[in-house]
Amino acid sequence: MRRTGVFVCHCGSNIAGTVDVERVAKEAAKFPNVVFATDYKYMCSEPGQQVIKDAIKEHNLDRVVVASCSPRMHEPTFRRCLESAGMNPYLFEMANIREHCSWVHPDKEKGTIKSIDLVRKAAAKVVKDEPLQKSSIGITKRALVIGGGIAGIQVALDIADAGFPVTIVEKEPTIGGRMAQIDKTFPTLDCSACILTPKMVDASQHPNIEILSYSEVEKVEGYVGNFDITIRKKARSVDMSKCTGCGTCWEKCPTKVDSEFDMQLGKRKAIYTPFPQAVPNKPVIDRVNCTKFRTGKCGICQKVCPTGAVDYEQQDELITEKYGAIVVATGFNQFDHSVYGEYGYGKYPDVITGLHFERLINASGPTMGKIKRPSDHKIPETVVFIKCVGSRDEAKGKSYCSRTCCMYTAKHATLVHEKIPGSKSYIFYMDVRTPGKGYEEFYKRTAEEYEAQYIRGRVSKVYQKGDKLVVRGEDSLIGRPVEIEADMVVLANAMVAREDAGDLARTLGISYDKDNFFTEAHPKLRPVETHTAGVFLAGACQGPKDIPDSVAQAGAAASKAIGLLSKTQMESDAIVSNVDESRCSGCMICKGICPYKAIDAKLITERVGGKMAERQVAAVNKSLCQGCGACTVACRAGCLNLLGFTNEQILAEVEAVCL
Amino acid sequence: MITEKMRAAAKELLEKGEVETVIGWEKGTFWYNSTPAFISKPEQADRLVFDEFCANNLAKYLLDYRNADGKIAVFVKGCDARAVNRLLQDNQVKREKVYLIGIPCPGMKEAPKTGAAQDTASLPLLAKCQSCATPNPVIYDQLLGDPVPAREVPNRFAGVEALEAKGADEKYERWGKLFSECIRCYACRNVCPACNCRECAFDANGLNWLGKQNNLQENQMFNITRAMHVAGRCIECGECERVCPMGLPLMDINRKIIKDLNELFGSYDAGLNLEDRPPLGHYKLDDPEKFM
Amino acid sequence: MSLNTEALPKSQEVTASPEAAPQPWEPRIVGFACNWCTYAGADLAGLSRLQYPPSIRLIRVPCSGRVNPQFVIRAFQRGADGVLVAGCHPGDCHYSTGNYFTRRRFLLMQRLLEYMGMDPRRFQARWISGSEGPKFQQVVTQMTEDIKALGPNRKMRDVE
Repeated sequence: MRRTGVFVCHCGSNIAGTVDVERVAKEAAKFPNVVFATDYKYMCSEPGQQVIKDAIKEHNLDRVVVASCSPRMHEPTFRRCLESAGMNPYLFEMANIREHCSWVHPDKEKGTIKSIDLVRKAAAKVVKDEPLQKSSIGITKRALVIGGGIAGIQVALDIADAGFPVTIVEKEPTIGGRMAQIDKTFPTLDCSACILTPKMVDASQHPNIEILSYSEVEKVEGYVGNFDITIRKKARSVDMSKCTGCGTCWEKCPTKVDSEFDMQLGKRKAIYTPFPQAVPNKPVIDRVNCTKFRTGKCGICQKVCPTGAVDYEQQDELITEKYGAIVVATGFNQFDHSVYGEYGYGKYPDVITGLHFERLINASGPTMGKIKRPSDHKIPETVVFIKCVGSRDEAKGKSYCSRTCCMYTAKHATLVHEKIPGSKSYIFYMDVRTPGKGYEEFYKRTAEEYEAQYIRGRVSKVYQKGDKLVVRGEDSLIGRPVEIEADMVVLANAMVAREDAGDLARTLGISYDKDNFFTEAHPKLRPVETHTAGVFLAGACQGPKDIPDSVAQAGAAASKAIGLLSKTQMESDAIVSNVDESRCSGCMICKGICPYKAIDAKLITERVGGKMAERQVAAVNKSLCQGCGACTVACRAGCLNLLGFTNEQILAEVEAVCL
Repeated sequence: MITEKMRAAAKELLEKGEVETVIGWEKGTFWYNSTPAFISKPEQADRLVFDEFCANNLAKYLLDYRNADGKIAVFVKGCDARAVNRLLQDNQVKREKVYLIGIPCPGMKEAPKTGAAQDTASLPLLAKCQSCATPNPVIYDQLLGDPVPAREVPNRFAGVEALEAKGADEKYERWGKLFSECIRCYACRNVCPACNCRECAFDANGLNWLGKQNNLQENQMFNITRAMHVAGRCIECGECERVCPMGLPLMDINRKIIKDLNELFGSYDAGLNLEDRPPLGHYKLDDPEKFM
Repeated sequence: MSLNTEALPKSQEVTASPEAAPQPWEPRIVGFACNWCTYAGADLAGLSRLQYPPSIRLIRVPCSGRVNPQFVIRAFQRGADGVLVAGCHPGDCHYSTGNYFTRRRFLLMQRLLEYMGMDPRRFQARWISGSEGPKFQQVVTQMTEDIKALGPNRKMRDVE
């Protein structure tokens, strides 16, 4: 027998106007396990709460029902009230007789009957309420940043400045990412390297930052505050502790390979750093192309190395470390536009992408900053830009707008005008989207002062005629076909997710959308968090972004991570799933359904037939569980239950409202 | 003869000590029944038989050996093999703890109406075998005999479709009549390889999912819940229907669900492939949408 | 029954308020509403004073994915004339994926109940967001009308 108290609120006339509250209280007093019922003008007010507290003492109540407004409004209020009266705050239910009754049912008789039903339902459930406790877990005060582009570097610097150790894992031999490949940045046209490289150096010299370049995350175990992360440090073939980065090895290396950093427009050696300002400025050997690894002969780099750092025997190394938070900042790739055969990419060397163009205008790029077309190194006079290559095209590419292309194309056109006197740029576009600060002005300047000619329409074909590329398209504004004889064509390829994004998402247990971009926990309210507690997102891995947006998001992700790491203990909600281990069969169907990776198998030992036997059961990590209850329905045996919303409680409610 | 091969295989496994028990069939009290046999000594191998009456799905007996020290060998027909996959997918047995001896199944026969000896060829195929599409084991360590050609299965959903076409009240009346015959002996559950919970929700104390009364409503509750629990997991061995003492057409319910799952969420047959996830254990973003 | 429902006064009995005229039959609909969308949508209907028939009794669950088919059958068993399961629109689930499982489970369940002879209008699932107060009103109104047309449910119902 429980001792339930029922408190019916008038809410001024909000409830009492259309519900006979006295009658509700009188009927409630007749319900089983109810020992006290009353009504009061404003239950949530100080005196109203005092009524509850007094009744708890006077009638020795062990369960409380308040019939008033929505629990979404005042459940926390009344729980605190119970707590201050010395009761467990979870021995409490609300009957929503305002939003769900008095405000929607003007017929007083019918509204009163429904109110009585709703109170009966709450009273039936409250009897089955159990005292619940919040739980807490410790936190490893250390963060892992995956990806060392501008977003990753910014996250690392922010977290490190807040006083927490950070590790950056970067799969390339150097940090810097895409931004390092870019020449100038819009809309200010300041040099990308000039603003990026100081940050790279800051990161490398920061006492709280450790950079693991040429490394990848192999395995993630554990949960928020307590991740165990295995990192594969790929064999560099160079002993980092001995190498001084003097550069003798790559000067002497006889093998030349197309440089990935220069988008295959320039060459690098088989032992190399991707670019001169690389951090760490220590080389790796590209084992696929190195003569020593291919044929066994050569070994020049080892001979010339003054410190004996070159080590052909080096193996991949796996390390496992503990982290409290993870920030994913793995960036993007360029859309593979080979699906657009009509643009002639691959067939005509002078059809290039935006990133190629960045390398061509970069002073430290393969052409020392002179815009020369790849085929014959002639300086182009007419350049055609084609926008929306792979973006806003559901048939062949991606449905989304890639956000950055309008601006970088405008930048490219400006740079063509500045660097090649007498040149002319044409830009084929669908729309011009310039939603950033100073962006519209920049675009206007490109079109008006720098004489780039914007043509609204799609390009149907690019073909070679002599040493020219003929671009045929349509100007949809005047409804006429246009043909331009160009020296070079630059495609504004969409930003797409990295091809291995899905694998990383599965490793981390985060979700990703149809385009393989990682999904934020809420598109508006939790843009840098993921559904996996303790894993945050920064930069273009979440969706196309330019540099200022990536940096802003990096700062936001860092502050979320700092917020987590600055706690000593993390408190988690009491409404979590619970496993009855004695009945669990360990089928683990629940595991695949949990969106938070909160359920895992564990082995328990029990005595069976006189000997000890091991058995697998499901175990819920109470700090990860968010209390959705999806697992409880998947469990056929009913041995998973959601505390606060147990099967028994809900069935009791069903029975009560069906009477 | 499969029987000889069975005996030889069992004998060898037991002699070499590779398995501690072999689960097969042996002759029962009458010539027209073959019952499960559990042998642990090589000399018992000669008890084993394989004939037209080995209808019992043996896979579920593996659950009784969860804590065995050694391996258990079990003979599997097509349906038994799918049942083993069910148990593997549900983490109820470990693959390395079982040794599967596959037997391509020619189809099992009904027991004769009278006990008098007669030519088994004239006996009709069991209902569960008539619509079987997987007579050959889909998982095994060793296969006895040659695979049999897959049986021509006419539309296995024909019965379901006929019922679907009936009016609501007619349907309710039909099922109501059938369910009021149910004696809730739970034989359907006990024999079902998909019903492999340590303790069934209906047996649990305090869960209150099912009343104790044997009346139409509670029987409906039981049968619908049972159907939902095996939804997407039923391997169509038909054992539930075969063992029902009241002769309830339980496969009409299971097949209805299988048909709907296939129509709604794409082709799926439980127990054929360990990698395929049961349809109610995952989802697709573009699943049919009727709830807008 | 562990719950002492036998002891509870039936709502038909409390109906008999002395001055009230006998009420005509009203359908009884049990609604399962997820806390984040549909329950909020129902709250919004209240805030906007959108009237609908007093036929529905909402049971708050964290997510529509929490609704066990058991609960639905039990509701019919105990006398519900209709059952509504409602949650966030696909893609909007507070727990990101819960309603995708709801969608699969209850599509199947609805068809099974229909196969058993239950009119599909008596068991419905709907997506109602926190901003869709009017939709909540409309769904409850429509369902009430449908069920009024069908009359009291006798199928799967406990004998009285």
